[in-house]
Amino acid sequence: MRAPRIALGIRAQLLLVLTVFAAIPFLGVAYIRELEGVLRDAQARALAGTAQAVATALHDRPRLFDAAPAWRLDNGAPPRDLVEAAVATRVPGDPASDLAAILHGLTRTTARIRVVDRTQRVVASAGSLQHDVALPAPGAVERLLHPIYARFLDQPVEDFREDDTSLAPMVRSEVMSALEGIASTGRRGDADPRVTIVSAAYPIWVGDRVEGAVIAEETTNAVLATRNRAFERLFTIVLATLLVGSLAVTAYATWLTSRIRRLRDDAERATDGHGRVAGALAGVDARDEIGDLARGLEGALTRLSDYAAYQEAMAARLSHELRTPLAVVRSSLDNLRQDVLPDAARVYVERAQGGLDRLARILTRISEATRLEEALADTPRAPFDLAEVVAACVDGYRSAYPTRRFELALRVDRAVIDGAGEVVAQLLDKLVANAVEFATADPVTVSLEPWHGGVRLAVTDIGPPLPATMQGRLFDSMVSVRAAGVGGDAPHLGLGLYVARLCASFHRASVHADDLADGSGVVVSVVFPLAQA
Amino acid sequence: MGRRIAIVEDEPAIRDNYADALRRHGYEVAAYATRDDALSAFRTRLPDLALIDIGLGDDPDAGFALTRELRARAPALPIIFLTARESEFDIVAGLRAGADDYLTKDASLPHLAARITALFRRSDLAAAPPAGDDVIERGALALDVKRMSARWNAQRVDLTLTEFWIVHALARHPGHVQSRDQLMREASTVVDDGTITSHVKRIRRKFAALDPAFDRIAAVYGVGYRWDPDA
Repeated sequence: MRAPRIALGIRAQLLLVLTVFAAIPFLGVAYIRELEGVLRDAQARALAGTAQAVATALHDRPRLFDAAPAWRLDNGAPPRDLVEAAVATRVPGDPASDLAAILHGLTRTTARIRVVDRTQRVVASAGSLQHDVALPAPGAVERLLHPIYARFLDQPVEDFREDDTSLAPMVRSEVMSALEGIASTGRRGDADPRVTIVSAAYPIWVGDRVEGAVIAEETTNAVLATRNRAFERLFTIVLATLLVGSLAVTAYATWLTSRIRRLRDDAERATDGHGRVAGALAGVDARDEIGDLARGLEGALTRLSDYAAYQEAMAARLSHELRTPLAVVRSSLDNLRQDVLPDAARVYVERAQGGLDRLARILTRISEATRLEEALADTPRAPFDLAEVVAACVDGYRSAYPTRRFELALRVDRAVIDGAGEVVAQLLDKLVANAVEFATADPVTVSLEPWHGGVRLAVTDIGPPLPATMQGRLFDSMVSVRAAGVGGDAPHLGLGLYVARLCASFHRASVHADDLADGSGVVVSVVFPLAQA
Repeated sequence: MGRRIAIVEDEPAIRDNYADALRRHGYEVAAYATRDDALSAFRTRLPDLALIDIGLGDDPDAGFALTRELRARAPALPIIFLTARESEFDIVAGLRAGADDYLTKDASLPHLAARITALFRRSDLAAAPPAGDDVIERGALALDVKRMSARWNAQRVDLTLTEFWIVHALARHPGHVQSRDQLMREASTVVDDGTITSHVKRIRRKFAALDPAFDRIAAVYGVGYRWDPDA
């Protein structure tokens, strides 16, 4: 069977088509980035709102900034946050308790809120930048894949160093513009590069004068966490979809491929190289395009086999049709010869008779193959020793062809095959007749040797090689190709090798004709399977 | 009074040629082109020998039917059928229909005449007791050369003329290999190896029908056949 010559199979093609879906994650990424931008904008606006709300509560309270800071810790430092504020001692006569009271209510926000005075000193502070972002618990698959995602997604960091004793340099511009009466928002890295902080500043008005500013700050961690989660979900779903899709496509392609391949193998097996159709095709009942292909192929094979049968029957029919006119000529000549003829006429009668005899021999040869097929149909099979038959035959050829030297090379003692000795003898007769006809020098070698679990019978002659164009067709009916070594009036139709093929297929054997490696002649070999013990 | 031979053949040229040749041999010939013509003539008068073509007109098997009808009316009448097809099936069918022998149409006229002479002699002598010097005995085999009949263990083996001559050629020199060419000459017929093979096959079957253990005719591969003498 021929090896398939396929560079890119259907499976690979379908998987290639499937790579189109690899664009889906990129679309997802673009969408999520868009979403992230919207979330950040919303965060900044919310912070600006917070700063504005706090500032609104602090407008027009000139006392708040007079004596601030009003609270002192035991060590005399101002409290940095509300926890410290709780244990701080109020400096007597300090009027800043209102500021602390107002800010106290803001400790539960997710933002850090600081109030600065005109000199940009932090007067009060509430809340922290650090929060645990609360998210729904991840699923089992997500937990499994999380370490992979963590490698390429920025993760929210909560254990960063919080620096609130002074204003970071980045926030100063916002404070400056707030102190000039303009609300502003901004983003910056913190002292710790792993976090990004969004900040908003809003001026505190006392009358028409800016007395300070409220700064609201928040990390982007919540947005980051939400984004990461969206990413992970998207990737998990896309990955699962691609995986399941690829498996399904591969399975489908495998099924499709196996059907097509089976059909191909069957089609190849169905014809035996001589146009005879030997087997049925798989999948002719399928109700799809492949089934249709199988049916089409079956139709073509049937026509091919009909044609091959017609061709082979042609010879026999021709021979049959010619016999009646031949009988007319023959009986007329026979009658003519009974009359008294002038000598000149007798010469022509003899010539006509000679031509008639040749014609009759040709017709007999032509119908020989057909008769052999009929005869083989009711020839019984039995195990017999091929070596014995071959040895006996070669003895016979030595007397039948006294001008040729025969060599017998038996490399097996016994070779029991299933079939009929007479048929093998007939096969060998044809091969030897063919070899003798083409041989230009001695010897004609008949050999028998073990061959891949079977036994190989070969007849080798020294003579002209086979024409390259006729390889594989030698054993067809009516094909004779080599220039004959010796002329003669033997009809030369190449039917001998066709008869040999019939005899071989009776033994389930295969016949091959090859040139010798050095081009000095031709070896015709028949490989027989051994009888089952 | 000459013997009367009926020829049933639809091809006029062959029919006339055969008729002329047989008349020259001194036979009285009645020729018919169709099965019906032949049958109605046979009802009035039976011939001494019939030569019947298998295919008549459009019916490829008309000769078989005619042979069966003629055989039913005349069990001992020698019948030869002519066939253009050298088909094993035709030969077996023709012989089973009751013919004594067959000829392919490319047989020569002298060959046909010889065959007819032999068949007449066989039917003439069938009733007469065998004369000793004409019988070849090889163990269980007894061949009566004059009557062209064979017996195996005293039982008659129903051989055609061709088969008889093949057995005769083999048994005359037991143990000696007869090549296919020699057998062909003995049977005075122009045939190929395959035909000799099928004749031998049919001969073996006829003997085996009487004696399942029959194995005297041995194939000598590449050469021919041999009659094995008694062990």
